[in-house]
Amino acid sequence: MYKKIKRYRGIYLMLVPVVLYFLIFSYYPLLLGVVNSLQKVKLLGGSTFVGLKNYQEVFNSAVYQRALRNTLVVGTGTFLLQFVWGLMIALLLNEVKNKLARSFIQTVTYIPYLLSWAVVGGIWITIFSPTGMINGILKLFADGPSQPVVFLSEPSYARAIMIFTGAWKGAGYFAALFLAAIVSLDESFYESAQIDGATRWQQIVRITLPQIVPTMKVVTVLSAMSLLRNFDQIFVMGNASINDRVQNLLVRIYNDGILEFNVGTATAAATMVLMITMVISFGVRKLLRYDEAYD
Amino acid sequence: MKRRKCLSVLAAAVLSVGMLAGCGGNGAAENSAADGGTADSAATAEGSQAVTENAAGEEAGGTVKMLVGVTGGKDDEEMRLFVDEMEKATGLQIEIEKPASDYDQVMMQKLSGGEVYDLIYVSAGQYMNLAEQEALTDITDDVHASDILTNNIDQQEWDDITIDGKIYAGFNKKEVHRVVALNNTLLKKAGIDYKTIEPTMDGYYEVFQKMRQVSDTEDFYPFDVVLSEAWDLQPWMAAAGLKTGVLLNEDGKKYVPISTDEAAPVWEWFKKLYDDGLMDPSSFVDKTSDMREKMGASTQKTGCSVDWAAWVGLHNANAESAGLTAEDYEVVSLPGLQTPDGKYMLGKGGASLFAVPANAQNVEGAIRVLEYFATQEGGELLSVGIEGYDYVVEDGVYTHTEIGAAHGNDHGAPVPIYKDFVAPMGYNTGMEEALGYGEYASIEMTIPNEADYKEIVGKWAIKMVKGETSIEDGLAGMRQELLERGVTEV
Amino acid sequence: MRKKKGTRNELSRKQKMIAGVLVLAVVLVMALPMWNVIVVATSDKLSASQSGVKLWWDSFSLEGFSYVFTVTKLLRPFLNSLFVTTIATVIQVVLSAFAGYVLIQKDLPFRAAITSFVMLTMMIPGDLTLISVYQLNKQLHLLNSYTGLIANGLISGFSILLMRNYFGTVPYSMAEAARLDGAGEIRIFAKIFLPVSLPGLATVFFMEYVGKWNSIMLPATLVTDQNKYTLPLMLKAMIQSDSSTSGTSIAPENAVMAAIVISTLPLLLIYIFAQKYLLEGMNLGAEKG
Repeated sequence: MYKKIKRYRGIYLMLVPVVLYFLIFSYYPLLLGVVNSLQKVKLLGGSTFVGLKNYQEVFNSAVYQRALRNTLVVGTGTFLLQFVWGLMIALLLNEVKNKLARSFIQTVTYIPYLLSWAVVGGIWITIFSPTGMINGILKLFADGPSQPVVFLSEPSYARAIMIFTGAWKGAGYFAALFLAAIVSLDESFYESAQIDGATRWQQIVRITLPQIVPTMKVVTVLSAMSLLRNFDQIFVMGNASINDRVQNLLVRIYNDGILEFNVGTATAAATMVLMITMVISFGVRKLLRYDEAYD
Repeated sequence: MKRRKCLSVLAAAVLSVGMLAGCGGNGAAENSAADGGTADSAATAEGSQAVTENAAGEEAGGTVKMLVGVTGGKDDEEMRLFVDEMEKATGLQIEIEKPASDYDQVMMQKLSGGEVYDLIYVSAGQYMNLAEQEALTDITDDVHASDILTNNIDQQEWDDITIDGKIYAGFNKKEVHRVVALNNTLLKKAGIDYKTIEPTMDGYYEVFQKMRQVSDTEDFYPFDVVLSEAWDLQPWMAAAGLKTGVLLNEDGKKYVPISTDEAAPVWEWFKKLYDDGLMDPSSFVDKTSDMREKMGASTQKTGCSVDWAAWVGLHNANAESAGLTAEDYEVVSLPGLQTPDGKYMLGKGGASLFAVPANAQNVEGAIRVLEYFATQEGGELLSVGIEGYDYVVEDGVYTHTEIGAAHGNDHGAPVPIYKDFVAPMGYNTGMEEALGYGEYASIEMTIPNEADYKEIVGKWAIKMVKGETSIEDGLAGMRQELLERGVTEV
Repeated sequence: MRKKKGTRNELSRKQKMIAGVLVLAVVLVMALPMWNVIVVATSDKLSASQSGVKLWWDSFSLEGFSYVFTVTKLLRPFLNSLFVTTIATVIQVVLSAFAGYVLIQKDLPFRAAITSFVMLTMMIPGDLTLISVYQLNKQLHLLNSYTGLIANGLISGFSILLMRNYFGTVPYSMAEAARLDGAGEIRIFAKIFLPVSLPGLATVFFMEYVGKWNSIMLPATLVTDQNKYTLPLMLKAMIQSDSSTSGTSIAPENAVMAAIVISTLPLLLIYIFAQKYLLEGMNLGAEKG
């Protein structure tokens, strides 16, 4: 063992800046954060140690339980739709032969990913508003006058809308990842399939999709780690009538910690977010046998 | 040799953290508990170091450090001029820090980071929370001892921010109230003189009907309200004589008047307005900015909304600057519905304050700044800005510079706290009238969980108005959830 | 070695039509909001303030752009962002490449532990460290400094994993052979791995550039000096100008949208410029296995 370490000491040296950086800028603040979660924090000093009381409070809070449920449902839904949507764009783009058109389409589909929720959230709110585009279209098909649908105040549509807009924003990003995998596939696979008389569609199903499974795994694992991280979307697009269905953990933590100065509870909840994320991503990695590819 | 040793230590550190990551939260929690003491004392040491630094600064003539949200210059250049003006007037050294955005987050970080300020900008809700955490300095005696602070500011303002007999802050600006804003051009077209509108639910219902008949704007709804944030129902709830927000009942327990069955008639009225197509369905989702857009000259999609007195003036000013005359577009204001005993009720903005943190080093200086803000000169700085930069004075007549015009008479306080303040450039058309209804206005009780209040009331309000639940059940549901989430106590 | 598009056969006519319609639909749905932003940014104040999604001009005007430069003074924050983001991203790419390279070493002691060490950093929610990050920067005297803006969030686990995946595609035997020839680690890394991994570097560069460019939480924590404001801070302040409760001076809608266009432009330019590299780089080296 010692010999091995010695052999790799040049390699370890290359890691030093990164390890130092993470120790200082990630782990040290993390430690302090966890300490806060065990205290009744007063902003100007005088915090007292309260053990797991903050955790208990979060754990027993119906609002936090609701927030966890919403986070998981909307997060998973968004991921699945975004995955399919991104894959669809990638496969379609792969069939576009004109280079310029392809580049254009790809850029366009990528733009939503570059914009912040503060920007696109506002636009979607307008589109779903009573006088917005969707109601405009509905009006064309309605027989006679009717009250417009206020989509964002309907609890039954709320999650679907968040999932749709969330996937809309990230689909171009996933598409870029998938497309990169598709274009670098070895052409010889397709050639032999053609000789066997497979149609283009069959080739896509039998060759393209299986071949990009490793990329799909990477995408899934990375998404699992940010599953609970959604804040901006719900912060911008949520409102009183649908918060029961969509308000998520980070928005709740923001209300608790920043608006009401309950730092102890907020950090306890945030620590729980971290733990749940660890469990989820561990589960996903095991499920996909993700790590085995690198051993 | 030495390097190898370092390396193995590092490797061990990496390994242990890696294992932590692997086996979940248990180990992490234990470990940090053990380290808690050191981390904490480090923070305190940092704090006391700052204390000594500041004490030295005070001897050098008195420095006042401020953390501000909206107050001051709009950019670095103007901020320096702003500080100069303050220093000239108060004889203090002033240091101002202004976060670009996310003020709430930054303030919390600064305070818990042990930063020392003499004045911090806070909202009424934050003020409550900070006072409760003993994070503020009691300045009651200083306020009483100051002629300026007692004479230049209405006693009512002080009463509003007194917690258990103590005051911890002074004022950034005067909070104005919200009034019923009406599109007078439409009213005239419908043959209505707004002064003769009957201040009852039926009276306004009729006015809305007529407004709809005369408007030829597509998707026009005569009535708009930000229902999702329960904003602002006060002028309407007056019909039942009820105050919005949270109140204390005879036993000193918190309750929400507009969730009681007494409020039912007004909720019925809202529902009727919605059912008859008079209330904009967007009221369920709109934010105040959407409501303003609809009230504005460029859209005119609504004829009546409740907004700050200042916005009545701004709507008119915006129209004027776009070249519209009062014939084309004019907004006027009214105090809303009459209470059973013939009065009116309007909502006033929760105070925006400068609080003195518990670790402030120069309370005396902080008081001097608060005094300055409560004078005509201080008020001018906070509103119209800096002479020679935002405006010029010729023969006593103030004129905006181009920069000043863009800053819209707001450098923190569109209406300063000084009770006899004279706006040197006057107010926008219509604002004076709106300000005149101030006697009917009162603030809502400040509660720590205001966000929950808005969310719960908004949610049930929408359910009732939409007809998803009966008014009776809706109010019962509202009361129950308010109680469950700790907003009310009965 | 790789694909020649001409040799592929194609979809049937009917499938092609479906695909065409789908492509069109996707482009429309995805482009709409940005188009709306552009139209409003180049409209005059009055028509920009109308509610609803605007897809065509009532009146063309660039006053929104002149507003953000003369009144909001966006130039300085823009340059700040450009400076900080560029430097930080360059450093990040180099350091992530180092770390990624370490993580592909076969039978490196503690490799799994190091990987977990890196991955855990990706899962820490910002709210948990909100207060302590401030304390840390205060202790290190990084508040209100460019160094602070560069140092915070400098390295991400994400880019390290990306680099690891990318280096993974380079045949490991090449490194072994060079090592047997007595080449040093840095040399092997620089001469063998880096050149083949250029697309990977480009990907990390772009993705992290986007992330840093849009970053809000950390700069808000660090900066109260108006000379060091970054672009997203200004943008956010413009979009959510609700802080003044009696609300008066608010940036007109066309100025807000102009600011959005300005803040998106550099990213778009880099993206278009780097698209060729990105396509290959984003593959994440996943074809390995």
